[in-house]
Amino acid sequence: MVTLYHWEPNANSGKPMLALAEKGVAYESHYLDLLKFDQHQPEYLRVNPDGTIPAMVHGDRMLTESTPMMEYIDEAFDGPPLRPSDPRLRWQMRWWMRFFDSYFAPSLSMIGWSVFIGPQVRQRDPAELRAAIDRIPLESRRIAWRKACFNEFSAEELAESRRRVAFATDVLEAHLRDRPYICGEVYSLGDINGFNLGYALPLSQPERCNDQKTPHIMEWLRKIYERPATRATWAKGRTAMAARVAMLERAPGASAPGGPHA
Amino acid sequence: MPELYHWEPNIFYLKPMVALAEKGVDYHSHYFDPTNFEQLGAAFPHNVESQLQLEREGPLLLHEGAIIASSFFMLEYIAETFPGPSLLPIDAYDRYRMHAWGQVIALSVASAVTTLGCARYLAPALRTRAAEPLRSQIAAIEPLERRQAWEAVAYGSDDQGAVSSARRRLAPLLTRIEAALATSPWLAGAEYSIADIDAFAMLAALPSIEPDIVNRGATPQLMAFLERMRERPAVRAALAQSRTGRPAEAFVPGPEAPRWG
Repeated sequence: MVTLYHWEPNANSGKPMLALAEKGVAYESHYLDLLKFDQHQPEYLRVNPDGTIPAMVHGDRMLTESTPMMEYIDEAFDGPPLRPSDPRLRWQMRWWMRFFDSYFAPSLSMIGWSVFIGPQVRQRDPAELRAAIDRIPLESRRIAWRKACFNEFSAEELAESRRRVAFATDVLEAHLRDRPYICGEVYSLGDINGFNLGYALPLSQPERCNDQKTPHIMEWLRKIYERPATRATWAKGRTAMAARVAMLERAPGASAPGGPHA
Repeated sequence: MPELYHWEPNIFYLKPMVALAEKGVDYHSHYFDPTNFEQLGAAFPHNVESQLQLEREGPLLLHEGAIIASSFFMLEYIAETFPGPSLLPIDAYDRYRMHAWGQVIALSVASAVTTLGCARYLAPALRTRAAEPLRSQIAAIEPLERRQAWEAVAYGSDDQGAVSSARRRLAPLLTRIEAALATSPWLAGAEYSIADIDAFAMLAALPSIEPDIVNRGATPQLMAFLERMRERPAVRAALAQSRTGRPAEAFVPGPEAPRWG
């Protein structure tokens, strides 16, 4: 029996959701509203004292790191393999997941918080917000939430994040120019990771990620969006954030473009 | 025969040296001195993944035409590719713990430890060098964030700030390692694995750099773990490859500290 504590199919929460869906594993879903700080409530801290999501409980096993969690999902359950069998390609998958998790994602999320999420959160009573942040168990998370909620990003930090997002987008486009998926011909955890990071790039970075400048990223995102597991997972979203995925719908009558990866 | 580009047996360079010795794999050793910027030469192997690896000056493994970068994933590649002892736990949950430790060590422990090691050894060494060619060597480093890491060590004005921030980030990580080693002899569980090689390589120098926070009284489990590791023939063989005789002083800027704080 698998229980998953998660937020929207987005970023870290979406990784195990999509991996479980691809494997065909049913799970008991506990939706926590990240922006209401559900993950820092005592009830959840009894499950995961660190107060981070996602968390997965499998029997008496507790997993809290989303990328290692995906490797566990692939290993512990039947269903189609989500990692290439060649060790060199598995290495490539892990390299890219680290690049997504530690280079691309922190910069993209800094921009996202500064432009979209921060302003929504700041409509709440500041004293209440401050008290909610003080309850966060991990110091590193407390610092990050304080920055995010009160927009304590410097102009230099934001400029650096924009530079990195532009750079990483170009690196990814170049990588996908030569292969349909992150590890070549095989769909893998690397694609699941990348889709969770990048499914809304065409909306959040329209001048950098579009059909003209990054046709291979666009085709990759659309192909992943067309998978039944992706549709089923994003249908679990409750907010406008997850609903952004619909922009990957191909225009009526349009088919996948020709070429080696079609 | 695999080829390994590495420096002194310390931090991320030590990891593949131990793993290849555990496996009994013969390899061709390319010893380079990253503080003389040999890794920037045209003859040094490179591709997108080695250029953009988040460890920056980390080791490279050349095997069957591939360049393998990023030291924890290199350990996993070695474990999965070569015959010999597995170095991977059998149980899926122990493997999860192995991956989770690999992540914590690469992202959090490594940035704190290399900051402390660079402040102690690399910064004073760079500051005794002639202004040129050091300045132009550093100016040639790509990508930008890799260059900035070297500039911070060579010319930074807030070493003390960087050191206190690294100590603050290290403290909860040491607590976590102590707790894990109190419940099982090895980090991923009952079996020795690449998580232990990974942790040993990044932590081995700490008792000499930070004797006030890493010692028998404060971190008894970690100290016993480091001793257990040092008794392994593979670890001895790797450490014996030092050319300076002081491998625990060999530091380069590692992965950057998390940008969110």
